Amino acid sequence: MTSVFLVDDHRIFLTGVRSELEDAFEIAGSSFDVDDAVDQIRTLRPDVVLVDVHMPGGGGVTVVTNVLETNPDTSFLALSVSDSPEDVIAMIRAGARGYVTKSIGPDELTDAITRIAAGDAVFSPSLAGFVLDAFASSMPVQEDPELDSLTPREQEVMRQIARGYAYKQIATRLSISVKTVETHVSSVLRKLQVSNRHELARWASDRRIV
Amino acid sequence: MTSTHTEQRFQWPFYRSTKDRLFGGVGGGIAERLGAPSIYVRAAFICASLAAGLGIVLYLLAALVVPNDPDREDTTHDKASSAQVAGLGLMLVAVMLVFQTIGLWFGPIVWPTTLVIFGLAIAIDTSGLNYEQSLAGIAGAGDMRRSWWLVVGGLVMMVAGLVVVLSSLESLQGMGVLALAVLAAAAGFLIVAGPWLWSLIEDLRTERRARIRSEEKAEMAAHLHDSVLQTLALIQRTDDSKKMVTLARSQERELRSWLFDERAGDVETLRGALAQAASKVEEAHNVPVSVVVVGESSLPSDRQTALVGAATEAMMNAAEHSGAPKVSVFAEVAGGSVDVFITDQGAGFDSAAIDEDRKGIAESIRGRMQRHGGKVHIDSELGIGTEIHLTMSGGIA
Repeated sequence: MTSVFLVDDHRIFLTGVRSELEDAFEIAGSSFDVDDAVDQIRTLRPDVVLVDVHMPGGGGVTVVTNVLETNPDTSFLALSVSDSPEDVIAMIRAGARGYVTKSIGPDELTDAITRIAAGDAVFSPSLAGFVLDAFASSMPVQEDPELDSLTPREQEVMRQIARGYAYKQIATRLSISVKTVETHVSSVLRKLQVSNRHELARWASDRRIV
Repeated sequence: MTSTHTEQRFQWPFYRSTKDRLFGGVGGGIAERLGAPSIYVRAAFICASLAAGLGIVLYLLAALVVPNDPDREDTTHDKASSAQVAGLGLMLVAVMLVFQTIGLWFGPIVWPTTLVIFGLAIAIDTSGLNYEQSLAGIAGAGDMRRSWWLVVGGLVMMVAGLVVVLSSLESLQGMGVLALAVLAAAAGFLIVAGPWLWSLIEDLRTERRARIRSEEKAEMAAHLHDSVLQTLALIQRTDDSKKMVTLARSQERELRSWLFDERAGDVETLRGALAQAASKVEEAHNVPVSVVVVGESSLPSDRQTALVGAATEAMMNAAEHSGAPKVSVFAEVAGGSVDVFITDQGAGFDSAAIDEDRKGIAESIRGRMQRHGGKVHIDSELGIGTEIHLTMSGGIA
């Protein structure tokens, strides 16, 4: 069974998510403090860490960065109070494999965690929208064409996610396998994490993050 | 001059101070060497400058020749005795007298000005750093009182000097001695009380900033009370969980735009207009509508209005008839035209059969779009869901 660790400074929310996930996953532990979370995750080595973006003491970014330094195999799913990608882009750049909003339903959350545990990426519609915005093909300044732009197929997958479709539906609509959809999303995630594309930097600095 | 260095190196009588410097650190360095407050050394330089600029010349010479203070932790100079300091002061006076005699002199105001400067130095020296203390010293401990008397003494020196200076000025010849004394006293008071007045003004400013902050806090509290707390109260009185979610979402949207002043609040933009339409639909039908917009449109406003109107109608239909738990809106601006997708994963319908009984799609969506040169593509399947694709081009229709 996939082991899940929860990090959130909002205790009521933590308790709620915990009870929602208890049936489907092994809850390795939880923490509402950045430093304590890093220590516990290093000891408990859970498969997936569900981490809140906004926390005192550095927030989710600190947790992700510090844990990945010593335990690069840990997968992170970021949780944000809102569907605003500016909250989360720093998390993705730090190494989170996806993000969902706190208003997400229990089934969708379970699905997202399973996907993360399998090594896939999870994009919300608004993050997909941001990716399309940031990698807009109309801006041809590219240092590394392979990393700094999306393939037409990746763009199409992002558009489908932005339109609210699940991976399975996207696969049907584009006549490709679910595995292929996952591959495209993972590849976009990698580009999002390592691309030096200037829109990404500008976009982040506009919002005073990273 | 003694040194703890084993090797006997040349030692300057003083070094330019690295800690206490206004220009070149000469004044501070000499003061450190003498163990006297640097303000007196500086006053001496200013007075010497009145003797045909002697002070300035000496200062520049020292600044050029004397090296910066090396880290002299291990080297201890003996502090000069007060007799030595007084000797230096007398030497300065003697040199100035020589300059006066040989005519390198700025006139009769030099000596009274010297008096003013030293009076000021004495007054500020004790008042400058510890003004509150020296004021409190009136009724305070012995050494405090002494510093208070120094302030008074300095002031008297300064006022006396000022009276002489002012009386020698041509333009003030007509005034009586009393008026001059009053003027001098006022000037002296301003100079000495200046720092204190300044700190008073600073205090007032700080207080003003604090008041503004607390007013902002009060405004925040009022806003939270009017909106968030009211909504929370409503939520507590609601049994319908769908309604609760809608209330929470619309409150979240409002609070967010209030806190971050997001572009969503601007209905002139496509983003803002769609967001506003979505929240209207949410409120009307208790179905969450998420909006994702890529790019910013530059459509003429009539076309944008038509597009948003059609999109709103499509959202309304999806929320009302599809039975889907949520509606997704995705708008993308590409190459001058705007595509909007309104997607639900609800009941779907047979698109061949709708044109008769569903006026909404025929008129409000298709008609509106076509009148402005737009296109509508409807893709619906029973049991799978519906996607309405609106396209509005920015060019001439």
